[in-house]
Amino acid sequence: MPERISGKRAGNKQTLLIVVLMLVILFPLVYAVVGSAIPRGSGSPGEFLEKATAPGDTCIRAVEYMRLHHWELLRQTREEVVRYGVRDETGLDKCKNCHTSRERFCDKCHLATSLTPDCWGCHYYP
Amino acid sequence: MDRRDFLKTAGGTLLAGTSCAYAFRFLTSTYANKAGTDIPASGKRWGMLVDLTQCREDCTACMEACRRENNVSFHNDTRWDNHWIRKIKLSSEHDAGGEEKSVIMLCNHCDRPPCAQVCPVQATYKRDDGIVIVDHHRCIGCRYCMIACPYNARQFNFRDDEHWPNKERPKRSHGVAESCTLCAHRLDKGELPACVEACAKTGAGALSVGDLNDPHSTISRVTSTMAVKRIREDLGTEPKVYYIGL
Repeated sequence: MPERISGKRAGNKQTLLIVVLMLVILFPLVYAVVGSAIPRGSGSPGEFLEKATAPGDTCIRAVEYMRLHHWELLRQTREEVVRYGVRDETGLDKCKNCHTSRERFCDKCHLATSLTPDCWGCHYYP
Repeated sequence: MDRRDFLKTAGGTLLAGTSCAYAFRFLTSTYANKAGTDIPASGKRWGMLVDLTQCREDCTACMEACRRENNVSFHNDTRWDNHWIRKIKLSSEHDAGGEEKSVIMLCNHCDRPPCAQVCPVQATYKRDDGIVIVDHHRCIGCRYCMIACPYNARQFNFRDDEHWPNKERPKRSHGVAESCTLCAHRLDKGELPACVEACAKTGAGALSVGDLNDPHSTISRVTSTMAVKRIREDLGTEPKVYYIGL
């Protein structure tokens, strides 16, 4: 016959069980939210593709930043140009001055990661 | 453990877990705001002045210049051709039998644009300087704006046009609505719109743009001293294209 455990100890055990259960339930959410905020080193297109270098002196941002976040910058610039008419040196059209090859600088990574941005349907890439 | 304790523990854990996750997200956010949220307004209010006494009926210089500058879709087929500037014949309702007038029509850049009011995705909007523009990245091609516009200024790209005369400027892909932008890209750089330049080149000089907020600009002086008309002022859309001799 099993020993009767006291009410206090049973309560602690149950609390622990519930906390663990809730954390398990929460895990996918936490993983998704935290995971998306961490810049991933391995697995990014730059890791397994031959890196293309542009002939210009410096980019408008650090290379590492551009590799991961160029689309954010472009989207932001787009909003500023189209909505507010702020036309400075950081637009899609200016990028083309140094990044002269669409195959090397756009399509290569986008194909590898199966992304299909539709910039060049309307904008011209020489 | 009773039900009360169970609910307290479960709820507390969920709340703590989610807030930790989101707090982490905000603390490590890498989103950099390039220009800040406050972009100063230019204080301008662009308007256009059309002098119909100088405009020749057989001349299409402005239409052609516009098409070249903005890559307006042109297939030489009336079903699919777009015109940011059109030439139409206008006759007065109150003057039956009166003479028909050849008038150029373009987007009136209304102060109260019906097209912007109906746009379900805020693709059409009025800029700070009064220019009404379509954000083609956002346009879903529902064509509400075409129905709303009382001036028939809105056009739809029914098909892609491979013709690309001005590589500096984007063309439109199939499935978005568009209209005259008053060459906002040129005005932002301090240049005149393509149609105004072309009209001046022909020697007619019937078109001009200017700042309606500036009391010393030509357009402000002309609109305050001369008899100018706007098309369908009764609609209350407050159009900003003024006509002399309409």
